[in-house]
Amino acid sequence: MDSTVEQISDALKSVFGKLEEKFGARLLGSSVFRGELTFLVAPEDLVEVATYCKAPEGLGFDRLEFLTGNHYPERIEQPFEVAVQLTSMATNDRLRLKVPLKEGQKMPTLSSLWPAANWCERETWEMYGIEFEGHPNLIRLLTDADFEGHPLRKDFPVRGLVGGRIRTDLKGKI
Amino acid sequence: MTSPQDPRHPHINGEMVREASEREVRMLAEGNVDRPEEHVPGVAIPAQLEKLLGFGRSFSWWPLLFGLACCAIEMMATAGPRYDMSRFGMEAMRASPRQADGMIVAGWCSIKMAPRVVRLYEQIPDPKWVLAMGSCAISGNVWDTYNVVQGIDSLIPVDVYVPGCPPRPEALWQGLEMLRDKVKQSDHAYDRVRVIPARAAIGE
Ligand code: SF4
Repeated sequence: MDSTVEQISDALKSVFGKLEEKFGARLLGSSVFRGELTFLVAPEDLVEVATYCKAPEGLGFDRLEFLTGNHYPERIEQPFEVAVQLTSMATNDRLRLKVPLKEGQKMPTLSSLWPAANWCERETWEMYGIEFEGHPNLIRLLTDADFEGHPLRKDFPVRGLVGGRIRTDLKGKI
Repeated sequence: MTSPQDPRHPHINGEMVREASEREVRMLAEGNVDRPEEHVPGVAIPAQLEKLLGFGRSFSWWPLLFGLACCAIEMMATAGPRYDMSRFGMEAMRASPRQADGMIVAGWCSIKMAPRVVRLYEQIPDPKWVLAMGSCAISGNVWDTYNVVQGIDSLIPVDVYVPGCPPRPEALWQGLEMLRDKVKQSDHAYDRVRVIPARAAIGE
C-alpha cells in the first residue's frame, strides 16, 4: 500500500491521511489502483464513515455516484461486497468504499444520507440478495414482482430459469 | 388476391364470411349457444368491398409507436428521411394502440414487458398485423436468460418475421412490403389461428 499511495493526487493523499487518522484501525484496509483510492469498511462502521465523508466539515464527498454489489464465490468467508463510489463536486475527487459481507449478512442503508442510494440498494438487493437494514422500500426494481432468486449471483443459472418459451405466469397480468 | 376458393375465406352466396373459431365450434358442439348470432363476432363483408378495404389499408398502414430495444433504432432510421416509410403511408406511427393498424415488435421483450406487449396488442382494433423485427423478437437471440421472452410469437400471433441483429432498414422495408401484400389480401395471422398464444398458455 505505502508504495502505491505515492501515485495518488495530493488531495487524495490528504483524504487518505484524514480517514486513517479519524478511524485508524477500524478501517479494514485500503488500496490504490491507477490513482483511485479505495477503503474497505466493515458494515457496522459504514454509516459513520460515510457521514464523515459526506459532511462539508469532513471530507466533502457530497455526491453518491453509484452503489452496487459484487459476488466472488472464490472468497469463502465473505463472498459478497458492496461498492460505494463517492464524488466531491467541489474538488472533483473520487473515493470508493467497499464493504465485504458474509452470505446473508445485512448492511445499513445509505438512503438517509443520499436519497439516490434508494434505487441502487433496491437493485443490489434484487440482484445479489444483500439486505439493507432500514431501507424504506426494499422491493424489486428491474425484474417482475414475483421473480424468485438473485440473478447476478454467480451460482444463478445462465440459461433460462423455468424452461418453456413463456417463462412467466401471465395469469392476472394480462 | 382472395379467390372464392380460398379456404381461409369461405363464401356464402358470393359473400365472404369468416370461418368459425375453435371456441365457437366448441360452443356450438356443446350446444351452449343460446343466440348464436350474438356469439359470432365476425361480420360478413362482400368480397369486392373487402378488396377495396385492403387496398386502402395497404397505403395507410399505421404502426404503433413502440420500440423495445436496439432494433428500434433501425426502425427509427426506416421512419426517418433517408429511408422514409412515409412514401408508403406508414409515417404516422401512432402513440395510441387504438389508432394503430398493427405493431412492429422491435427488439427483445423482457418478461416484465410481456404483459404490456399483450395488452397493447389486444388494444389495437381488428384487423391488425404484427411484424417481429430482429432475432430477439423472433427467438430471444442469445438472451436465453431469466428475463427475456423467447420469441414474441409465444405471446401474440406474428405475420412477418424479419431476421437480423439488427435488420438493416432495407430488410425491415422488405418485411413491410410483405406485410403490405398481406394487408392487401386482408390476410392476418390472428384471423387464421384465432388464438392469442399468451392467453392460450394460461387457459383463457
Ligand atoms: S436483434 Fe440484435 S439489435 Fe435487435 S434487439 Fe436483439 S440484440 Fe438488439
